[in-house]
Amino acid sequence: MAVASGSEVPAQSPPAGPASTSRALGGRALKLVRGFLTLREGSIIVVAIVTTVYFSANATNFATLSNFKTLLPYFAPLAILGAGEVFVMINGEIDLSIGAVYLLSPFVFYKLNQAGIPLVPAVVLSLFVSMAVGAINGFFIAVVGISSFVTTLGMLFTLDGLTLIISHTAPVPTPGTSALHVNSFAQVFGGGTYSELIWALVIVVVLQAVLTFTRWGVYTVAVGGNRLGAAEAGIRVRLVLIRNFVLCATCAGLVGILEAVRAVTATPDPSGSNEILFQGIASAVIGGTLLRGGSGTVVGALIGALFLGVLHDGLIIKGVSANYLDLYLGLAILIAMSVNVYVQRVRTGSGLG
Amino acid sequence: MLRVEHISKSFGPTTALRDVNLHLRKGEVLGLLGDNGSGKSTLIKIICGFQKQDSGQMFLHGEPYEPKSVDDARAQGIDTVYQDLALVDELSVYHNMFLRRERVHVPVPLLNNALMRRETRKALDDIGINIPRLDVPVARLSGGQRQAIAVARTVSGEANILLLDEPLAAMGAKEGGMILEVIQRLKEEGEVSVMMILHNYAHVFATCDRVNLLQDGVIALDKQITETSVEELNEIVVEEYRRARQAAIAEDTAARAAAATASQ
Repeated sequence: MAVASGSEVPAQSPPAGPASTSRALGGRALKLVRGFLTLREGSIIVVAIVTTVYFSANATNFATLSNFKTLLPYFAPLAILGAGEVFVMINGEIDLSIGAVYLLSPFVFYKLNQAGIPLVPAVVLSLFVSMAVGAINGFFIAVVGISSFVTTLGMLFTLDGLTLIISHTAPVPTPGTSALHVNSFAQVFGGGTYSELIWALVIVVVLQAVLTFTRWGVYTVAVGGNRLGAAEAGIRVRLVLIRNFVLCATCAGLVGILEAVRAVTATPDPSGSNEILFQGIASAVIGGTLLRGGSGTVVGALIGALFLGVLHDGLIIKGVSANYLDLYLGLAILIAMSVNVYVQRVRTGSGLG
Repeated sequence: MLRVEHISKSFGPTTALRDVNLHLRKGEVLGLLGDNGSGKSTLIKIICGFQKQDSGQMFLHGEPYEPKSVDDARAQGIDTVYQDLALVDELSVYHNMFLRRERVHVPVPLLNNALMRRETRKALDDIGINIPRLDVPVARLSGGQRQAIAVARTVSGEANILLLDEPLAAMGAKEGGMILEVIQRLKEEGEVSVMMILHNYAHVFATCDRVNLLQDGVIALDKQITETSVEELNEIVVEEYRRARQAAIAEDTAARAAAATASQ
């Protein structure tokens, strides 16, 4: 959670005189910089900026609007997936089923629409199905007591299989979309150029606010930080867990529909959705969310997704062969995370040992 | 005010509480003593609604008292300082202070951090514990400061029965003294009853009105503080060790005898 660094000591009254004013300004700027670096996302922001500057200087056409548009569909979905995953991970759990929910939800949307339900209600109902998946995950984890890794792994295969069955392993045209014309439904739900970006930004802002400014957020941190203590304080731990798995699955279901609308078809490809899963989790982790729980930010997941997007896009523009792409991506993540840890140590002043 | 009758509790093969009867009068400070593992914390956790007894009843103000949860117990005026403090390292001082009792704005229920920070400052000042910054995570605080927050959280609430499980364990003499002073003050006001687990007899005799000693899952001694002495309490505990040791020796001898018989 990003806590604003407000001091308890009342601010000193601004000193009079031009000479001391400039010094006060300098001091304030220094304070701002320090405040920025004590943000949990501070280090990954630095790493993301460095990466962006590198590609801007070394890859032609990187810093252009058209390239930014190319980049959007790569990072916006990851930002939304990462945002939901952050809540689960702050709880000290993990949701491996987000890729499978992402895969399933456009087919649920398609079936519902085929059954005669109009587009928007069909989207809403599909999201309810995703929520139900999250609730089932939460039930097995919080009530039955199976680890989240195992539960959501089981859910991953279950939903992948279900998708293959109901789709007969054949792609379907996404309802309400056409390859020739982007109508108003498609404009809103992922087809418009900035549609996914707007969804991502709104979701990140709202969920970050939930995390920082509501009881839901405090309880999420409490359950992840000290589960027994949270229960002793009277927090309903199971409810908090289930709620966060529902949130996470809902985000995944929404991304599934947005992406299917953007691509105009829904493809039952579990290997593609598994990649989405790992990138979504990577966004959260790169953004500073700890796997052990208790700490993380939604904004961090957005920046993590942006970093992955910039890296992916930059490597392609640099003309890296497709065969080498994953290799470079993997190495770059390792290097970037090492730098991240280094910057983190510098800013917390805990030494470089 | 609070009455506990024939409470028992087992965890698998281990019997923590056999048949506990005790009562807490209004405005009284009751010291709960007993060896490690004698079931003191279990008893506290049953009274505060965190665990459920296997059998037995509790009465609050003469009415049957069956807390369904910690929230429920708190709503009925019973609040607890746990031995493990129930603090969340990652949360700020004031978020911990108001954990599960958060102050929120109306009508949009966003956290009212300014109000919580102000009330936390006031509660800590009342106790006399100085924590310079309230927005740092409690992980950065010392053991004594953390314990002070846990105590302040409970004392500053609405509760009229306070259960304190070793509230002084991690504290230095100065901080501990401040907490004892707060309890003394509450006692003088006479509105709040306190049940406190303590290990240090000096603290017991300085603060408590009455002591109960929990041994073998029952209350083995119930005396006004004026009618007992450190010597008597010590003697009981030493006697307990002596008995336990003799029992162990007897068991060992029996086992050897059995082994010898078997080998012949």
